[in-house]
Amino acid sequence: MSEPDKYSDEFLSAFVDGQLAAEEKERVYLELSRDEALGRRVCELRGMRELVRAAYENPPLPSRLRRAPTIGRRAAGAAAALVLALSLALGWLLQTPAVSQQPPDQTAPAVGSAADAPPAAGVTGAPVRVVIHVSDSGRAHVAQALDEIEGLLKFYRAHHQNARVEVVINGDGLGMVRADAAPFPERIRRLQREYGNLVFAACQNTIDRLRRDRGIAARLLPGVVVIDSGVAQITRRQHQGWAYIQV
Amino acid sequence: MTMNGFGFFARTRATREKLEQHRLRLYRIAYSWTHNRALADDLTQETLAKALRNSAQLRDHDAGAAWLYRILANCYHDHFRRTREMEEIAEETLIEHSGPEQESGARQLMRKVRAAIARLPEGQRQVVTLVDMEGFSYVEVAQILDVPIGTVMSRLCRARGVLKEWLRAELAPAAAAPEAKIRRIK
Repeated sequence: MSEPDKYSDEFLSAFVDGQLAAEEKERVYLELSRDEALGRRVCELRGMRELVRAAYENPPLPSRLRRAPTIGRRAAGAAAALVLALSLALGWLLQTPAVSQQPPDQTAPAVGSAADAPPAAGVTGAPVRVVIHVSDSGRAHVAQALDEIEGLLKFYRAHHQNARVEVVINGDGLGMVRADAAPFPERIRRLQREYGNLVFAACQNTIDRLRRDRGIAARLLPGVVVIDSGVAQITRRQHQGWAYIQV
Repeated sequence: MTMNGFGFFARTRATREKLEQHRLRLYRIAYSWTHNRALADDLTQETLAKALRNSAQLRDHDAGAAWLYRILANCYHDHFRRTREMEEIAEETLIEHSGPEQESGARQLMRKVRAAIARLPEGQRQVVTLVDMEGFSYVEVAQILDVPIGTVMSRLCRARGVLKEWLRAELAPAAAAPEAKIRRIK
């Protein structure tokens, strides 16, 4: 239990928004794995951000935009964002200091199911599609990312929610799925086996860059697919209405 | 000459199409600032028109999105300077789609979130929506709104803190146990 104000709200906001320098980020991730209270604060901030995003994903439209062909495609994404935001939001709203016997990384999924998730009722039919972006392969970061991915998948399975989760890996994140560098290869293999709706996708540009700049020919873990560009893939997915989470 | 003229029109058309792709996203932000469909639509339209006129300025395409939102922020600012009706975020638009009973819990929550955002001071509302919805960096938001980056961070933090309290008050009673009193640590 660290002193509660070791990290200011500003600092943690910056962490959640991906605005910290690499080594500061690493420090928070390390701390997160042992400090439950900190984990809760980060979780709350993330939940808040997802809520705001979801609240306007599907705003009331003026007639001009209602005619536009893009809107139909957006609707599915809105539903996905909604489910996601709800699960995150319930996670933090229900999370109280009183329930500290829960493991530290309790994010939405488990808590959401405890709440019987009534809000999800309206959207169960729509497929949920989530793209998760990993661009850091520090051990603590990858552990956290895998926790979140697994939590999300469990949540959808528990709610019989038709879902697809795509983990897009680029930049410094590549180590997560490199056969010679992955910190948790067996966990990734297990997730791939357990969840047919999960895909790990690595960025070809990053692989090329690694070869060019550092002479490393990256070998990937089995089952990891390669996409042309991580950034392009994320943009495509967002255009297709996928919800986007950066971990 | 003809070739040049043709090139100009082709370029303009390409720019127009490119800008048009931003319409929905711009509208979302404009709506989150105004909570008024017609006004948000006008602001979006005005932004795109201005952007098209000034598109020659835009060399660097990576700066494109931030540049567009900066125009939007200016349009928004000008609008309220002209009309001086800053204080009233049209409450009726927030109630308007609070449908009858069968509204799902999800929709209700989304409406409450919007209502909470509408209650934020304007500056906080702008920062939190730009960061959360568009994922702009703090530096970009500072440029878009033409305020120091420290202001961006403090507004964002205050906004999130307040939203958390408000939404907890709205939503927690049913869910949280009585002892679930959370002390906010400064």
